[in-house]
Amino acid sequence: MHTLELHNVNSGYNKKTVLHDVSLTIQEPSIYVVLGPNGAGKTTLFRTIAGILEPYSGEVVFDGENVASSRDVRKRINYLSHYNAIPEEMTVYNALTFYANMQGGSADEVLELLHLQELRDKKIYDLSQGQKKRVSVAKVFLQERDLYLIDEPTSNLDPGYSKEIRDILMKLSKDRIVLYSTHNLYEANDIGTNLILIKNGTIALSEKIANIKLREYRVGIRTSTDISKIVDAKKGEQGYYVVSVSSPEEAGRILKTLIEHGVLVTEMRQLENPLQELYETA
Amino acid sequence: MRQLGRKPAIITVKRGLALSKSYVVFAIFFASVAILTANFGNAFLRGVPGNSDVYVGTSLSLLSVPLTAIAAVMLTTSVILLYVYDKNNGVLEYFLSLGMNQEDIYKRYLKAGVILVLLLMAGVAVANVAVGLVLRGGVTLPLVATGVATALALSIVSFDTMAMMTFSLLQKPRAGANQPLGLALGGLLVLPAYLTAFILPGIVAVAVDLAEAVIIAALSIALLLLSSRLISREKLLP
Repeated sequence: MHTLELHNVNSGYNKKTVLHDVSLTIQEPSIYVVLGPNGAGKTTLFRTIAGILEPYSGEVVFDGENVASSRDVRKRINYLSHYNAIPEEMTVYNALTFYANMQGGSADEVLELLHLQELRDKKIYDLSQGQKKRVSVAKVFLQERDLYLIDEPTSNLDPGYSKEIRDILMKLSKDRIVLYSTHNLYEANDIGTNLILIKNGTIALSEKIANIKLREYRVGIRTSTDISKIVDAKKGEQGYYVVSVSSPEEAGRILKTLIEHGVLVTEMRQLENPLQELYETA
Repeated sequence: MRQLGRKPAIITVKRGLALSKSYVVFAIFFASVAILTANFGNAFLRGVPGNSDVYVGTSLSLLSVPLTAIAAVMLTTSVILLYVYDKNNGVLEYFLSLGMNQEDIYKRYLKAGVILVLLLMAGVAVANVAVGLVLRGGVTLPLVATGVATALALSIVSFDTMAMMTFSLLQKPRAGANQPLGLALGGLLVLPAYLTAFILPGIVAVAVDLAEAVIIAALSIALLLLSSRLISREKLLP
């Protein structure tokens, strides 16, 4: 069990404070989705936790050790920046070996893990943006560490590779803390169990995603029967009948009513991502 | 397949050279001119008086000091450009995330610059001996010039590298130039050695060049000592 604590952290660039008095404690191994609009302070938060930026005041403590002053504790953190951070003049294999020599691990193993063998001898500058991103992500998996800070890992990636990376992180999160930043709300909802919402350099919300209640849920129901006479539904987007409910339980009751009326429901889904409302109000 | 070595400074040298091959060509050209100048003057114009106590042959031999120093500055430009490239690409940020401090990082590039200077100077010294023996002009003066050039080049390269890393202003290209402003600094610091070769008697010129090297070396050491304060971690971020 690992513990990450931020105590009244103020941090930023050129003496300009971006994070304001941030306090946070994370103990449970899981994926914590860090959400917030551009410029909210997500990257600054990651850089400060990784010990790349030294806080102006306050402290970041991981397993009882101050991150900014302890080189050893920083070696237990894996940080993926949204910059690729790979020497472009090298081949994929040499770039991964370059980092493996510094941080440990094996280039061959990580090439296999992320199915990058076909790119092994290609120069980084010859790769597409998506391929570069995959190599960049690969370097973070060279060696397993206790805390993962992953900043937008799936940008430029196609769905298959995105899922591959999410699966690895989900496996790692069973006994480690993973902080995961993304602008993809569906991905956030899919991968995360906890949400950290950053707003203007402060933590506006830190909560389990399952506990997040919205003001209104819009549920889409696909059926060949006109159900507008049975429930308060309107034929709407993408061929769904749309029902507004105040809670997921109410959606269950509507489904029960429809079944009792002999309606064959072929699909029922939540139309908006529960994180959308939070994101828009951030 | 070419494997990477494990010594960070050597890797940095290899990466720098791979990234800026044109600077290597320029450096070799200037070093070759310096070798020819040092030996031609010494072999064929020795004892030919110029004005006052200045001898033409000695002046030409000592002209090889700034030429060799400029070759060293050109060669190490590849390392300085690599630093800027790694910074902009997020590589330095990743180094920090691996537990390195800013000192570990800039010393890696500084060491790479120093290694390149020493490699060049070793090559120039060997070439001076070989050419000196072929031309039968003697090797003492060309080797003295190489020694002075080594002192000057090491101090200028150290200062230039430290200054570029400390002041991000020097990393930015300026109007009309596509290279960082700091590179001009190296060229500027070599200038006095061109003048001393022609206006001062040999021994005085050598003394002035060495004095310049000592002053610049002192400035480099001062920058190095202050570097942990002057180079904050955020200066290494893209």
